[in-house]
This record gives sequence, structure tokens and C-alpha cells, in this order.
Amino acid sequence: MDLQTKLRQEARKLLEEKLVDVVIGYEDEGAPLRTTPCFITDPQDVDRLVWNPFCDHNLARYLTARKDKAAVVAKGCDTRAIVVLINENQIERKNVNILGMPCGGIVDRKKIYNHLKNGDVREAVLKDKVITVKGLEFTADLMVDDFLADCCLSCRHRNPVLCDVQIGENLPPLDVKDEYKKIKQLEESTSEERWEYFRKTLSKCIRCYACREACPLCYCQQCFTDQNFPAWVGKTTDISDTIVFHIMRAFHTTGRCVDCGACERSCPNNVDIRMLTKKIAKDVKELFGDEAGLQLEEKAPLSFYNEDDPQDFIK
Amino acid sequence: MRTTPRILSSEKIMKTIKKDKINTVLDFLIKKYQVFGPVQKDDLVVDFGRIQNGAQACLEFSNTNEPAKKLFFPQAETLFSYTGSDAAQVSELKPEKPRIIFGMRPCDAKSLSLLDAVFDGPDYKDPYYIVKRKNTTIFTLACRRPRSNCFCDSLGIGPFSKKDTDVFMADLGDRYVFEPITPGGADILNKIPGLENARPTDAERLKNLRSEAESKVARKVDLDNLPEKLARIFDHPFWDGIHQKCLGCGICTYLCPTCHCFDIVDEQKDDKGRRIRIWDSCSYPTFTLEASGHNPRATGKERMRQRLMHKFRYFVENYGEIACVGCGRCINHCPVGSDLIREIENINNLK
Amino acid sequence: MKNPYVPMPVKLKAVRLENETGDLKTFDLVFVNSGDAENFKFVCGQFAMLSINGVGEAPFGIASSPLTKEVLRFTVKKYPKGVLTTALHNLSEGSTLGLRGPLGNGFPLEKMTSKNLLVVGGGFALTTLRALTKYVLHEKNRPHYGDITLFVAARDPGEMLYKDDLAEWSKRNDIEIVQTIDKPVEDWPHKVGFAAPVLKDLAPSAQNTTAVVCGPPIMIETCIKVLAGLHFPDEEIITSLEMKMKCGIGKCGRCNIGSKYICKDGPVFTYKQLKELNSVTV
Repeated sequence: MDLQTKLRQEARKLLEEKLVDVVIGYEDEGAPLRTTPCFITDPQDVDRLVWNPFCDHNLARYLTARKDKAAVVAKGCDTRAIVVLINENQIERKNVNILGMPCGGIVDRKKIYNHLKNGDVREAVLKDKVITVKGLEFTADLMVDDFLADCCLSCRHRNPVLCDVQIGENLPPLDVKDEYKKIKQLEESTSEERWEYFRKTLSKCIRCYACREACPLCYCQQCFTDQNFPAWVGKTTDISDTIVFHIMRAFHTTGRCVDCGACERSCPNNVDIRMLTKKIAKDVKELFGDEAGLQLEEKAPLSFYNEDDPQDFIK
Repeated sequence: MRTTPRILSSEKIMKTIKKDKINTVLDFLIKKYQVFGPVQKDDLVVDFGRIQNGAQACLEFSNTNEPAKKLFFPQAETLFSYTGSDAAQVSELKPEKPRIIFGMRPCDAKSLSLLDAVFDGPDYKDPYYIVKRKNTTIFTLACRRPRSNCFCDSLGIGPFSKKDTDVFMADLGDRYVFEPITPGGADILNKIPGLENARPTDAERLKNLRSEAESKVARKVDLDNLPEKLARIFDHPFWDGIHQKCLGCGICTYLCPTCHCFDIVDEQKDDKGRRIRIWDSCSYPTFTLEASGHNPRATGKERMRQRLMHKFRYFVENYGEIACVGCGRCINHCPVGSDLIREIENINNLK
Repeated sequence: MKNPYVPMPVKLKAVRLENETGDLKTFDLVFVNSGDAENFKFVCGQFAMLSINGVGEAPFGIASSPLTKEVLRFTVKKYPKGVLTTALHNLSEGSTLGLRGPLGNGFPLEKMTSKNLLVVGGGFALTTLRALTKYVLHEKNRPHYGDITLFVAARDPGEMLYKDDLAEWSKRNDIEIVQTIDKPVEDWPHKVGFAAPVLKDLAPSAQNTTAVVCGPPIMIETCIKVLAGLHFPDEEIITSLEMKMKCGIGKCGRCNIGSKYICKDGPVFTYKQLKELNSVTV
């Protein structure tokens, strides 16, 4: 039985037996290369649920505001976000039923658009691992694995780290090479080059806050950017303001970011947001040996201290 | 509201130039005008930017990522400056040189006429917008590459619309043709060196290209009864579900050519300060959050309803037109795949 | 072209604490430029944007009567999260601030002539109602109106606004003043109870009467229901609404109820209009 059928079965069972109020998953509304989040409350509707490499949203984002009991379709990275949310007391373990999906990576459709020289995809059909895309003037067969999101290419947790039901067998670990290749390049560049890089990418930001809103861990009741008393950061799109927003947001995810890439995928202007969060995740791993969201009751590295913590930054 | 003077059809002599000479047109214009046009920002993004020489323009594009509204209603704009508690100092609003926007799509051109209704309406005039608008000449470029989510046709615009522009341009493949629409546009066109009179067959060619482009606008939406329908469903349970997946980000409003809501804030460093206006979005909780903590649009439900009601009902009641041009940007860029056309269809289908 | 975003400079002539809690202050402002003073013509019920450079701007109802030329009066409640209201409360006399206005439509005084007036105010929403009361009580205007009743509700006696005015008006025989507080307090000679039930007990006659209701949203809602129950026609129940505003001129897009902007088309609406706009409060 394929994973999508299994997923629908589990969802039906949960709703029929009233174990949950809602199943949060993905559905296909016909837009090529895309799925959209759906909220299913009626067991009759479970056949709307889909599972494919276009299931790119991190649905953990919808858990924090809920008062009901929800089942959620979650990839490896999404389950890590859920673990962080539980550890940070934002959701109660008993109120969330995790439908864990081993995930071979999701498609970054911007890579497809890029490959097609910004071609207008009007139809996309997925069969096995091949996406047949059609536009008005082209047809192309594309391999899913050639267009995976960057975060998926360095994914070390393709299987759910926590779930109530796992849909399908564990996938073997990915042979990750050069996880920090881009980060290392940036680290090795001069400060002028780094500044130029950040200036260029962040100057595209239009302060729409899609990155923040797509992030499951940006759950602050009021984000520092929205506070006006005091105002921590200006509201314009001057680079001085956008850079403060992105750096502070990235710092706020220190030791918490699970590298799901939701921030970057949501950006309408292709700002390289993950560069900041990935660099911080790398530092956290090197300094504290910590990766976020791997086990319950784990404390975030910056929320406590050990006597043997690195101190060489104190000069 | 602005009424655009139109020129007599006898004066509408179409001009043409070879494609590889288009840079000379831009280079000529740049000497006299501030020229803004589509510029390649990265592999996927073309956006309006100031063009210093003709080669910077990227005229092979579908549409700009961001709409043209920012050239008249910038995302952040200083209203005035001050020192200490001294009176406001407003700087000269008139641009140093008159401006030309070169290569705007007809949908964005239409959006300006809708913004005129707000900023140059019958009551309060907005000098910041009006001065920029009055000092700008629009060269629209007919859209030969409508994208999958374009639906301008349903708004009565169409990819080859000649409305709301000063000069209409179209790409004939090896040449561009120019058609003056307003006297101001004709004046400028007459001064551009190197333009030849269009060929007798060009009108027919244009007609064919127009049909071809129109056939590419695949999506349609029925808007006929929408304003009246919306007036009847303010309290419908439909709104309880529609916002569920919405993240509450500002993409659909910021990338909308007609959305124009803004915030006004003060910024001060030492003694020097300024009051600025910046884009704001009805999707944000802070949009209506009051100092008392009360928020009349407390959840995504009220905010989503406000957005749709404003575009398709309130704007119609206030200005007689729908505040949408069918550019599809909100659909293309919604991070969770919300589809405005589908939402409207759902509303149309409500009992 | 007039620039509607640029404020006129005004000086804070006098400031005084209005209530026991200490979060309400009344500000008397005078124009710095005499030309501005002459051009500033307003009607009761209109509002203005007050601003402090470097802090921000917010709308406040004008509490003084248009017939009082000397000062413009505003009463401002300070909110812990209110940047501007806090800064206003910290101002000392003589400070300069900015003022834009007058804005909004104001009360329909023409339509109200020859009517009995029932003025209902709660909390610190009494501001524009004070302007209205002062105006209709003026010797030039008083003959144009029938019976006038001012109904004022406050949490407790210490929160009652404009005590001097109330005392002065209470001495007159051409206006009836009804005051109520939420809970009983020793030596309180007036009524006790929330606005709506007390108003219901009072049962004012709807005969040839226009009611003007201002207050917190919940009070407006409950009092309108009481008045409707007393057979006040929808178009004779008038209220003034508040919402966050930025431009004050119907452009920034946030203060609408239905297609009407509170800043430009309001803040004064009849109950009839509100019903048509799908909204009682917002």
C-alpha cells in the first residue's frame, strides 16, 4: 500500500474514533508543483489528503495556536519542530497526534522555475520520481531528486524523531557531504565580502514577514519587530532595518532552528534567509554539540549553562 | 479623480524601431527623464528599478515581481522632517526630472487609475502621490507572456489593453511598435530619434498577437455579482474556515498593485527626526491593534474577511470599481497556496 | 495643494489630572500661529490628530465647544502600551506638539434642533459629549433644543470626568443630569449600576428625542439595545466610534466599518447606518 493511502487510512481512523478533532495535512488543489495545507474534521474528507514531494510546508506552524486536539502530518524536520515546541511548553504532547512521514526530500519549485529559465509551468504530473512539467511552449521530464530543497540535501533526520504513528518504513540515512559548504565559503570570505553578500540578499527583503509567519518556532505573541514601546527596529526597508530584523530573528532561533527551510521557501523575493540560521546552527553544533529538536525534555543550549561550556569568547 | 486626455485617432501614428535599437531609445530618454524600467534582480526576479543606461533594462519578462505602485507610493516615504519639537519641514516633492516608467504591464497601469481614486480622490488629496503621478509618463508594454495565474481578462483589462497609459508599446518579435495614447505621450514619442513610421501590416500583426496573448490568459473568474454577494455574507460561517491556512504574512497585500494601506511612524535619532509612512497590511494583527490592547479584528477570520471585502465590495461601493487587476501575484507568491480565484469561486457558490 | 499630513504647531497651555486613578489628563492647547487659530473651524463631535515629534500621532475627540475660542481641549487616557498617550502625559505646560484637523463629520446638530436631547456618556468617552453639551447649553443655542438630559456613567466617583462642568450644569434648570457608578460607594448621592440597566430604569421617552451615546464598545452596544427597546427609532440613536487611525483622511485603510471610514465618514453614525454597515460596534 502506498504511503498516501496509509496516511488516509490513519487519518480516517483518528477522526472516526474521535481521537482527534482535526487532521492537519496537505491537499492538492490543482496548482502545479504545489500542495496546500488542509484541515480535515470529517472522516468523509480524508481522501483530500495527499503525500508527495510537494508537501513542503512545515505544518507544526499551525499547532501552537490551537485549543483542540490535532493530528498533524509531519516530516522528519517537522517532527523536530514539534519536539522543540513541546520542550518549550508551547504545545502539550497529549494534544498532538503526530502522523510521522519518512521523507526523501521535498521539491524546491523555485529550482524548477530556474531550470526552466523562469518558464511558466501550467501543468505538472508526478509519476514515481519523475515530474512531467508542461508549459505553453515546452514539456520536460524532471527528476525529483535534481530539484530537492537545499535543506533536504543536507538532511540528517529524514525519519520522524517523534510520532504516534509512522507511515511507512524508515529511510536509510542520507550520505551528506559538504553540509556546510556554502557556510564555509562565507566564513572564509573577508568581512567586506560577507557584508556585500548580506547587503545584496537582504536588500531584497520587503518586510512581509512571511519567513517569520511560516516558521513554526516564531510563535512569539508579539514579535520584537512589532513592538513599538520601545521600538527595537525600524519598520522601513532600508538595509539597516532589514538586517536588524533578519539577524535578530535568526539569533532568536539559536539552538532551536530545525533547518526545515520553511522561512526561505516562503520568501517572495528569494532572500537567502537560511544562510543566517544555518550558520548559527553550525556554531551551536560546534560549540555545544547540540542539534535542536531531537529529544523530549532536552534543553535548548542557550537556556542553561555547564561549567565546561566554551568560554574563550570572553576576552 | 484624474481624467486622462486622449488624443485624436488621426494623430495616432504608430512608430516602430528594431529590437536591437531599443537601447538607443532608452539612452535618449535617460538624458531628459528619470527612467524606471524592468531590471533583472536575480535569476527569478525582475523588478522596476532606475535605469542609468538602456542596456540595464530587461524587456523580456512576464511581469515584475513587485507591482509598479512602489514608484508612486514607496514602501517607506518621508512625509516630513523636524528638529526637536520644531515645526515640520516638508522637502520638495517634485522629482528633479520628470519620470518615465518604461515597460509597465497593462494590469499595473490599470492599478494606477485605481490608486488615483484613493490618493487623488474627491476629498483629501495626497500630495506625495499626486506629484509623482503628475510628473510621470507611462509607457506600457503589451503582455505577450501572460502566466498561468493571470486573469486580467476577467477584470476587463486584457494583456494588450491601451487604457491608463501614455504610450502603448508592443513587441512584434524583431521590432517594437509604439502608439501614442495621450498628448503627453505623443510629445515624447515625437522627439525620440530613430523611430520610423510603423509598417502598414503592423496593425494586423498587433491584432493577431493580441488574440494570441488573450488566449494565454487561461484563468477566468466571475465577478459580476460578487460585490452584492459579499454584502450579504458578512456573518456567513464560510469565514470561519477560509483563513485557517493563512499565515498572516504581508505577501498578498504588499505584492498587490492596488493594496495601499499604510502606517505612519516617527523615527528619531538625537534631535533629528522624521515622520514616515510605510506600507502596512490588513493581514497583520497590529494593523488594528489599539493602545488599550483592544483589537477589533482580533483573528485571522476578521482580517481575511476585511481583505476580500475591501477589494471586492468596499472599494466598489466607494469608487465604483473592483480593487484587483488580475495580475495573479497574490496567487503566485502565497506561501501556503491560497488561491484568490478559488476563494471567489467559493464565495460565488455560497448559498 | 494642501498637505493633509503636516500638523500645525500647538502649545500646551494647561494640563490637569482628571481622575483619581491618574490615567486621565485634560490638555488645553493653543495654536502657535494665529492664522491656524482663525482657520480652525470645527463642529462638536469632530476630532484631531495630536502628535509629538519623535513619538507619533493618534486621534482624540475635541472636548471643548466650538464657541470657546481661547483653547482647544482634549482628554487623554494613558495606556501602559500607548506610546503617544504616555508621552502626552509626560508633557509639561509650554511644550510644543502637533495638531492635524479638524477631522471627521461631527454630530448632526442641524438635524437635532427642536428635538429633546438624551446624551449618554460612559468612562472617558465623555469628551466630545462635553463639547456637545457646552454647545447646546450656550445661551445662543439653548432655545433651539427641547429637554436636555445628560446621563453619565463611570466606574466610581473618582473616575467621573469633568466634575466642575457637571457641578455647574447641575445648578441649571434647563438640563437634567443623571450620574451613575458601577458599585455602591458611601455618600454617593446619585444612581448605582451599569449604564444600560440604569438607563433602562430611567426609561427616557423616545418622543421627539435624539439620543447620543458614547462610551466603551460594550456600553454602546448595551445602551443602544436599551434605547431600541424604549422605541427610539434607529436613525435617532447616534453614536461616535473609535478605532486605531493613522491618516485620519480615509486613505490608510484600517478604520473602516463596512465601506465607511470612521475617520472620514464618521466618527458619528446613526444606529441605522451601523446596521446597514453590518456592524454595531466594528
